[in-house]
Amino acid sequence: MRIAGTERGAPFTLFVDGEEMAAFAGETIATAMLADGRAAMRRDRSGAPRGLFCNMGTCSECLVTLRGDGGARRVRACLTPAAPGLRVETGPAA
Amino acid sequence: MLIVEAAHANAGASGQNAGSLHFQIERRFLEQGEAKAAEAAAITGLSRMAVDDWRGLEQALGADLHVHMHGGLMVAETADEVAMLERKAARERAAGLSAELVDGAELRRIAPYLSERVIAANHMADEGHADPRAVTPAFVAAARAAGAVLAERTRVTAIARRAGGFAVTLAGAGAGTVQADQLLIAAGVWSAGVGALANVHLPLFPVALQMNVTERVAPFLPHLIQHVGRRLSMKQAHAGNVLIGGGWPSRMAAGDGRFDLSRRPELLAPSLAGNLAVATAVLPHVGGLNLIRSWTGTTAITADQYPLVGAVPCAPGLFVAAGGSAFTLGPTFARLIAAQMAGGGAAAEAKAALAIAAPARFDHLNSFMGG
Repeated sequence: MRIAGTERGAPFTLFVDGEEMAAFAGETIATAMLADGRAAMRRDRSGAPRGLFCNMGTCSECLVTLRGDGGARRVRACLTPAAPGLRVETGPAA
Repeated sequence: MLIVEAAHANAGASGQNAGSLHFQIERRFLEQGEAKAAEAAAITGLSRMAVDDWRGLEQALGADLHVHMHGGLMVAETADEVAMLERKAARERAAGLSAELVDGAELRRIAPYLSERVIAANHMADEGHADPRAVTPAFVAAARAAGAVLAERTRVTAIARRAGGFAVTLAGAGAGTVQADQLLIAAGVWSAGVGALANVHLPLFPVALQMNVTERVAPFLPHLIQHVGRRLSMKQAHAGNVLIGGGWPSRMAAGDGRFDLSRRPELLAPSLAGNLAVATAVLPHVGGLNLIRSWTGTTAITADQYPLVGAVPCAPGLFVAAGGSAFTLGPTFARLIAAQMAGGGAAAEAKAALAIAAPARFDHLNSFMGG
């Protein structure tokens, strides 16, 4: 749900599983993904989708992989600011 | 048989411990001088039995308990620690447990993931881990299949000793009074309180620990890792998470002049930092993983650190099984105490096997308790 009249920050693009996704300054990765209709942030052992539960860094259900030139790291989407050009992956951990 | 459980099965230390199957002589027995270390070698007799019990447990209970017994390493970083390992391994071998000192290229071959700081380790092939969340429910299911009744959310509020047995008053979901020929108190950290209802001292001291778990990652750590000179226990669970503990304290709540076991112990930041520092020093790969949870749990130790398992001499028919090491040694305690309580031919042998843990060694504390 989005509260009517809320202004989003300056727009930019990042990538989720290789697809372009719009995000806005000041948002976390989790916020931007949810606003784009992407609730699945990782997979459990059986391959079933898991997503944001606590939205405050406690449950670790929203761990995503950030792919960078120096390798990959796992971050909590709810605590990590979205940034232009980020490459986010929701598949199995390395 | 009636099993009375105040909360629900596996709510306490059985489900809160981190699931190590450790058969090497524990570090806590090694840090108190040579005399204690020599004496503690007696506990290896129980460890030897526990190896066999764990090897057969999944089949015996007909359940997948995620038992992994691919070996354990107790590591050393200094020459003094290596000397401790050598003395420890000699004691273990004398007691019939096969521990070998590995170093150099052999250590790197067995455990390529270890930091260069680790210069040697005692390797014991039978060590490993199992899933505490699976083990207790499997025991419960097996007990029920054998005719036992489990009364959960039921507390023992009074124990009256009667000729030839006990009258036990229960409150909660299973409220009522039951008659029992024999009683076994196996209530973990609450055992001393249940003992008080039977007017006996069960000298158990509560201790609160904390444990940590990382996110799930691809398998890289097949062994149980312990440290001979620092507090560390680490293994990768079946699901892929790395469990990190090793006896780091949390803080028990207190009130009314005593520890309050009804409240969850408080996590201590220095323990958290200290535990993770040791973990990453020994296994650098862990430093790159996200910690997803830390939790606290309470166990109990005795004055001499050995468990308290067997008959309570001053109260015929009363037995206890508590006092720590009870995940690794639990199935063995269960088997031996059941044999002791059943009487007959196997009872004497079971009593002898539990000699180091016998409550009789503390019976002088009950010499003024008046029956």
